Amino acid sequence: MLKIKHFIEQSWLLITASFFFGLLIAVTSAALSPKIEQNKINKRNRLVSTLLLEAELQAKNFVPLDSEIEIETLQGRKETVEVFRAMSDAGECVGWSFNAIGPGFADKIELVVVVDKNFEKLIGFDVLASAETPGFGNQIKFDYFRDQFKGAPIEGLKLATSGDNTKIDSEIIAISGATISSEAVVDIISNAITQIKEQIQQKGLIGNDRQN
Amino acid sequence: MTGKTETKTTAYIRTLIAGLWRENPVFRLLLGMCPTLAVTAAVKPAFTMGCCVIFVLVCSNIIVSLMRNLLKPHLRILMFTLTIATFVTIADLFLKAFVPAMSETLGPYVPLIIVNCIIICRAEACASKNGLIISIIDAVGMGVGFTVTLCILASIRELLATGAIFEIQILTLLKDGGWFVPWAAMSMPVGAFITLGLMLGLVNKITNKEA
Repeated sequence: MLKIKHFIEQSWLLITASFFFGLLIAVTSAALSPKIEQNKINKRNRLVSTLLLEAELQAKNFVPLDSEIEIETLQGRKETVEVFRAMSDAGECVGWSFNAIGPGFADKIELVVVVDKNFEKLIGFDVLASAETPGFGNQIKFDYFRDQFKGAPIEGLKLATSGDNTKIDSEIIAISGATISSEAVVDIISNAITQIKEQIQQKGLIGNDRQN
Repeated sequence: MTGKTETKTTAYIRTLIAGLWRENPVFRLLLGMCPTLAVTAAVKPAFTMGCCVIFVLVCSNIIVSLMRNLLKPHLRILMFTLTIATFVTIADLFLKAFVPAMSETLGPYVPLIIVNCIIICRAEACASKNGLIISIIDAVGMGVGFTVTLCILASIRELLATGAIFEIQILTLLKDGGWFVPWAAMSMPVGAFITLGLMLGLVNKITNKEA
């Protein structure tokens, strides 16, 4: 009994303060999290729109697929992926986009990948979040590296350490000094893309313009 | 009566000035070196970081000052850290909600304010021993001192690295037909160390003369 009294005497302030501070954080987080989520969605949509525009495609809105797509990540876990259909003004599907996450050199890399409406060619990708080394690995964000993916076939993407990086084909030329980061990007994209294509094909959604 | 208020006012002013120069957290106390080196590549992130530190410093000094008589000596550091962590989390959420791009630039350095020594030092050295008003003034002085110092370092680095200050082009770059060749090294860690070292040397030279 005495022990409990001693414990309470010593720690009541800490316990009350923890409760009060916890409440404060919970309230702030509840108030701001819708806005933070919206910021993320806006950023993603902006990147996808830019990539589509570069391919001369205009997208008005992004409709998530109703059916669930589950893929096995590079680390062997099962994860659901939200796949979006980019719809034009006329209500036609102009492309597909989804987020792909995987291990990079420093930390996980989160990409947004855009594919054409037939799921045959890449329209491009952009980096949502990464912590690759500045000057080396973070060149995965640079145009000269990303441009190699624009129009590349989605089947059989592979990395090469040397070659012509202006030629658009399934061979992606690595960033010199950052082979691991370059490889990570290729692996993340090809891992997600093949599994998603397979499942979308099974569901008969490719070439089907109706909003399911 | 007048004499008493006057001494009080002078004490307030002295506390305020101390943070700006005599006890400037970066140049004199050498506290908070991690953000000083990490976010001073450009003025904008440095300024944002400074504002976050002012917010956290003021809030934590208020709370610590209010509960200073209830603190148990062996639990005080725990209480300080708890208070600081709360306000840093709140500041981080606000940045993410209202300036998402800046929040990304600063990355982990906003959550790292929790371990910024300036804040815990002010809680220990000032707020846990003084009244509310002195604590607030001390927090503002120290916070502004920190922000100004960060901005000075960042201006030098940004100017030399890109020819701009606060993203406003001041020196015309060679590629735009001017004469200035940007020093890429200044935006890298090496630039931070060199600038800070030279500034510290300069400040020491000035203070030595004063003494």
